[in-house]
Formats: sequence, C-alpha cells, structure tokens
Amino acid sequence: MECRNFKELLDSYLCQELAVETNHQLLNHAEHCPPCRAEMASRRNMREALRRACSQDRLSEEACDRLRARLRAEVSASESLIGRRQRWTSLFDLRFAIPITVTAAVLIVAAVVMLPFLKSQTTPAQLFELSEALLSEAASDHHKCAPKFIQATRAAVMPSTVEPTYVGLEKVAASGAEGLRLHAAHVCAPDGRRFAHLVYTRDGALISLLVTERDKRALKIGNLPSADVSLAGLQEANLKNLSLGAFQTPKHVILVVSDLPTAENHKLAQTLASPVVEHIRKLDGQSVAALPQYRFDDGLTVLIASLRKGER
Amino acid sequence: MNADQPTLVGGDSERQTKTKKKIKILIGNSAQNTQQKLQTFEAQALGFADQLFRVALRLCRDRAKAEDLVQETYLQSWRSFHRFELGTNLRAWLYKIMFNVHYSNQRKDRLHLVPVEETIAETLAYDPPTPQRLTEAEVLAALERLPRDFQIPIVLSDVEELSYREIADVMEIPIGTVMSRLHRGRKILRTELVNYARESGYKVSNMAKRGE
Repeated sequence: MECRNFKELLDSYLCQELAVETNHQLLNHAEHCPPCRAEMASRRNMREALRRACSQDRLSEEACDRLRARLRAEVSASESLIGRRQRWTSLFDLRFAIPITVTAAVLIVAAVVMLPFLKSQTTPAQLFELSEALLSEAASDHHKCAPKFIQATRAAVMPSTVEPTYVGLEKVAASGAEGLRLHAAHVCAPDGRRFAHLVYTRDGALISLLVTERDKRALKIGNLPSADVSLAGLQEANLKNLSLGAFQTPKHVILVVSDLPTAENHKLAQTLASPVVEHIRKLDGQSVAALPQYRFDDGLTVLIASLRKGER
Repeated sequence: MNADQPTLVGGDSERQTKTKKKIKILIGNSAQNTQQKLQTFEAQALGFADQLFRVALRLCRDRAKAEDLVQETYLQSWRSFHRFELGTNLRAWLYKIMFNVHYSNQRKDRLHLVPVEETIAETLAYDPPTPQRLTEAEVLAALERLPRDFQIPIVLSDVEELSYREIADVMEIPIGTVMSRLHRGRKILRTELVNYARESGYKVSNMAKRGE
C-alpha cells in the first residue's frame, strides 16, 4: 500500500467502514511508515477533539422538562380519546339495546310530529320560492312565442275555448296595462307547461304576462303550498338577459317577463300583474280577506297600532 | 315456573356484572398499556436527547429552534412508536425522524439548503498532514466554517458514530454522496486547521503530543 492510498482510506478506517483485510493492509503500512503512523494519530486526535467539542452542547434541563411534559400531555390526550371510544362501544352492549331503541323510536315519532311545525318556521320567502324549472319555462315561452306577435295588428282576444280561469284575462289585465299595447292573447305550451300568454309592447320593449296552473314542480321545495302564498309577494329573477317577476295564488303563478332592466320590470310587474293576481286569487276560491291571518302579521299590526297611538 | 324464575334472574345479573367487569378491564388495560408504553419509550429514547440536539444545532444553527426540533422529533416518534421494531437501531430511527421533520419544516419555510458547492473541494488537490496540536475551540471553529452539507455528515460520522449506510438513510441521500461529502469535508477541515496552525506559528510537523 502506498502512502497516498493510506491517507485516502484512513478516515474510513477510523470510522470502521473498511473490510477486515483492508484494515490489516493499513495497519501493516502504518507499522513500516512513521509519517503515516503520525498522520493516523493526528486524525484520531482530531476526531476526538471534534467529538469532545460537539459533546459540550447538551439539551438544557428546561428543554428536557418541557419535552417530558409535552409527551405526558400527548399521552393523556390520546387516553381520553380511547376512554371516549370505549364508552361509545359500551353503548352497543345488549343491556342498553332496549332503552336505546325506545329512545330512538320516541325521537323519530317526535320528529315526524314536529315536521310540519319545523317547516312553518322557515321564512315564507324560502317556503314559496319558485323553482328554476318554472322560471326558465316562463322565460323560454316569452322568448319563443312573444316575438311572433309583434307585427300583429288584429285586436287580441282570449278564445272562449280555453280554461275558464283564463277567459277574458286580457280585459282583467287592461286596467293595469296602461301605456302598453296588447298584441296577442292566447294559451300556449312550447315546453310542455301550459301558459295563458298576453303579449305587450312598450316603446319597442317586448313584455309577456304569463299565467300558469301551479303544480308540484312550481315551488323549489317540490311541495304544494301549505300556507298563504300571497306572503311570498313579488319574486324576481334574471334568466337569459330577461327580467322575471312572479306572484303566486293558491292554485296559480302569474309572471311578468320582459327584456327590460330589472328595476323597470319590477315596476311594470307591480302594475300589470296586480289586477290579474287579484282576479285569479278570487277565482281560486280564496279572496284576500278570507285568508288566514298569521301570528307575526298580527303582532306587527298590534305593534304599528301601538306606535300610532303613541304618536297621537 | 315460579321456581325457575329466581335462577333466570340470577343468571341475568351474573352476566351483567361480567360485562361490567369486562368493560372496566378493557379501559384499565388500555390506560395501563399506554402508561407502560410511554415508560418504555422514555427509558429507551430520551437517552438520545443530547445527541439529537447536537445534530439539531448543526441543522438549525439556533438553540431555540434546535430545541423545538428535538421536541417535535420525540412527539412524532412517540406517535409512530408502535411501528418501531424493538431490537433495531432506535438512535438511527430517531435521527431519521428528525431529518424528516426538519426537511418538511424547511419546505414549509421555503428555505432550502444551499446547493453544495461541489467545486470547493475539487481545487484542494493537496491533502496536508493533520496538525497534531489542536484545541477543541479550533476544531469547532473550523467545523462551523464548513458548508452545512459537509458539516452534517461529519458530525453524524465522527461525533455521533453513525455508519455511512445509516447516514445515507437518515439524510435520504445515496451512500456514494455521503462518502464523497465526508471525504471532501474532512479535507477542507484539515486544510482549515493547517492554515490556522500556520498562522498561530505552530509547526505542522511538530511531533510533540498535546498534553492533557
């Protein structure tokens, strides 16, 4: 072995990384080469100095205590978790089976009984929110059907062959349709849903008044209305650049669809639809006066009355 | 029928007390087990705290950060202690976890290791003889001046006495890289010490032993 090789391998020898044979070769060389023997001693010395120097760094007592405390905390946290898990599994023990079943049954019955009450707690706006399906069908009807009648000049009259509710609808609507020009009055069903359709224009803007019979799909919740739908008031939506305003009666939905901006459509819907809404609500067999009063309405009335008294 | 009833009831209540006992034993056992496990873990692993800390200091170069790193290492290793096979090298396992924690911390801090300047050691064609007289402070100062990528394998090998294979596992680098970094790192370290010795007026070839 040459001195160069010896120096290359020396560190690995000190780390005990060499094969036994190589170790022997190295030791043999060191025996016959004093400078290499000295180098071996120096490197060993340096290694020990390095070890002593680094060993002075110790984890402080405080850090050690913190570490132990942290471990204990970790253990107690995991223990409480195990305990909880076992308490839960013990619930499935046979002894508890009957009481648990009885409790569950009582809860289910209570839930079923409470369901209508729970429902009535949702706000009227949520309860009577119209489905997107209905709104898009109305918009689509306006979009497909109304443009056909822009050029129509003949006086538009609803045929007497349609549903009794819709007969004479254009006359009812006339009182709210001031400043509008009526182009058509008919019943159509371009997408399957039947609408009574009155087509108006105002300064070039196309306006549809649509009335349709309510079904289960009309409301977002998919149920028939369980309370007074007039509470819902005017609902508005924007679909395909069209503005929609909708009123509801117990059996019908009345919509005003136009390409006017939302604010203008809102104003128009109020004036145009209100006589129609009133008319249809009467036909639905429930005049506004006969509608059941709601508690919060009463409360509000009482509150306003008391405020007014205070004013005086 | 009436005569049968008491035995029936008795049987039931007996079964009930048995289940109660079973539940108690279950809960008691798991708590005891965890406590025992912690004691085993502490007895076996906490002895390496100082050694881990020394390497952590090289990694973090800050005492507080190094203490945090050691604590995090012990928490992580406690959580996966059930996966540790008793009888295998616990110390190397702990180092490995510490490097994992450190690497993921670095990823979080977006502070990556400075890439090794492989050329640094290439220029050192001459390997000087190691000075025979050197103090701990000198060695430590020379070590501090080394790039971290060289420093850490040297500490793991010369101070902590991990094998090359273990260093490769712990640092997640190939064993060849470990060997070349050790080789170059030691060379630089020796050169630094020789230069220092020259400046201080020591004779490098001085054969006199350092008195202790």
